[in-house]
Amino acid sequence: MGIVLLTCCHFFSGYGLLKLFRLQYKLLVMVPLAMLAGVAIASLMPFILQLVYCPLYPGTVFGALTMACILLNINNFRALRASPWRWKRLLRGIRIRLYEIPYILILAFLVWVSVWRCYYLPPTSRDALSGPEAIAEYAVREHTMINSFFTTELSTTNNQFKSPFLISLQVIYKMAGYPFGQVWLSIIFVSFTLLLYQWLKTAVHPVLGGLLLLLLTITPEMYAYTLMVLYDYSNTVYLFLGLYMLIGYFDNKRSALFWSATFFMGIATYIRSETLVLLVLFMPALWIMRRREGTSFLGLMWWTVLFLLPSVLCYYVTVQLYNNHYLPVHYDVSAQVNQRLMELGPLFRRYKDIITELVVSAFGVRLWGYLMFVFAGLLLAELVVMRRLTRAGRNWLYAIVVVFGGLGLLGHLLPLFSLTDSTKRGLMKVAPMMVFYMCNNQLIVRLSHWIRRWEEASADDVAR
Amino acid sequence: MKKTWLLTLVSILTICCVLCFGYNRTWFIDKPVLYWQAFVRESAAHASREDVRRARYGAAYAFCMTIKDSVEKGHIKKDALLLFEPNGYYKDSLHTDLHMPEPALLYYYTGLRGLWINSPGVGNANYLVRIREGKVTLEPILSDGQLKRILDGYRKFTPML
Repeated sequence: MGIVLLTCCHFFSGYGLLKLFRLQYKLLVMVPLAMLAGVAIASLMPFILQLVYCPLYPGTVFGALTMACILLNINNFRALRASPWRWKRLLRGIRIRLYEIPYILILAFLVWVSVWRCYYLPPTSRDALSGPEAIAEYAVREHTMINSFFTTELSTTNNQFKSPFLISLQVIYKMAGYPFGQVWLSIIFVSFTLLLYQWLKTAVHPVLGGLLLLLLTITPEMYAYTLMVLYDYSNTVYLFLGLYMLIGYFDNKRSALFWSATFFMGIATYIRSETLVLLVLFMPALWIMRRREGTSFLGLMWWTVLFLLPSVLCYYVTVQLYNNHYLPVHYDVSAQVNQRLMELGPLFRRYKDIITELVVSAFGVRLWGYLMFVFAGLLLAELVVMRRLTRAGRNWLYAIVVVFGGLGLLGHLLPLFSLTDSTKRGLMKVAPMMVFYMCNNQLIVRLSHWIRRWEEASADDVAR
Repeated sequence: MKKTWLLTLVSILTICCVLCFGYNRTWFIDKPVLYWQAFVRESAAHASREDVRRARYGAAYAFCMTIKDSVEKGHIKKDALLLFEPNGYYKDSLHTDLHMPEPALLYYYTGLRGLWINSPGVGNANYLVRIREGKVTLEPILSDGQLKRILDGYRKFTPML
């Protein structure tokens, strides 16, 4: 029962937010996107309660969730009263073809196994247990995130300073009757998988879309984090959503996409504060796009502020305000910064290590399967055969380069950002980007067109 | 109709090829298939929450719970500060695989406070946790002199995470 109510709450609050952004998609895109937005909103609620020193009781936490859901849907209630049958429009266009079923079955198998482990087993990663999970456990007992966990010996860990995103969601799900929390991670995984499938199906033929999604889902490192509660999978999902919206905005200039991009990127920064560095590296793409539209220099500054504002706000509140002014112990990020930034040798060595140790190696295959090799092969083939890239392909490639570049830079800036832990997990962010580059690869698009033409020549049997 | 069936066959063959290719096959058998078998077992016979924790967290959790039992049986106050022997001592001196979790994990598992020999505030430790042949004993630390002797004895070993 708890999960049904929470799912409804996530969906309606997310739906309300998407409608505020004036985003409208077909049902099978709207539902998972709303769920993802809803989980993001939920992750803010206990943290906001903590910021205003409101005790975390089930009444206050679920009250805040309900209140957010209602407030975000005020306009929708009005619209629903004016036109009660508008939901029917959303239901149109759900179509599953016979050849999609094998992909749906294998993905359902992978999803089910992950969901079960999230539900049945407790969190195990040391980074969660020695920080956010323990804080959440004691927050439920002591009704505050600033609880007795901070009075224990914490000199061997810095996990207590990590984002309240995970703590908040663990608090909500523990209060809802799930002793190990974690079920929210399954909601993110299921919604993201469904969403990607719909978007891939729109871009290429479902047989190719299913194949690309399967390649992504069986990426060992990524799959592992769908059943092990930590920050990186969620960060990957929300950063990807932000980028998808931003690239959509580059294409059709709809402000709804820009605002939703800033929201999702803000959430990605809330989850992992260093995402802000990556977002700064995405700025040139926005500047180029705005310059093409004739925006003045002052206008570019204004767009920069608008783009970065939610992310900077999330960074400031979680890292500067909360860590330094709320927590009883403090964490000096500046003390962690590399003092020899101008020595570029280690930076280039880091880039080399990322490629040789995390990508092109037996260890790399154990992390990413063959996804990166397929990506590299298709990129090379497109460059050789077509000799140019599509606009969308270029955008995704730019995003991939930014993440690679940004991760190396972060490793150079912060020596604690280790190669085999933080960088390895951070590299997960490029996996969905690679898949979306692939679905915009001209060879794949041509193959897709060829299959569609061949199929439409006579076939019309459709399983509804 | 024929084309749809043909595309369905292509889908099935593609899935089989992807899952049987190289490391994908090893991973698929070692992870999702194994997880599925575990799911079948676990869903047929639900273990208690405590049993699930014990199975999942392993020996470190079992030791923490044994320490908790010892604290409760010895009527030791819950806010006692427990001093752990360094993991380096278990490894290098006792040659055992025993590995005590860090104090943050002890607190998460049991609500008890622990310290390493090099922790800040080690001077306030009340009990020394000794683990020998799987048995846990809590030795009270009664004086600063005794604490100093204990710390000196373990000084050459590292606590290790």
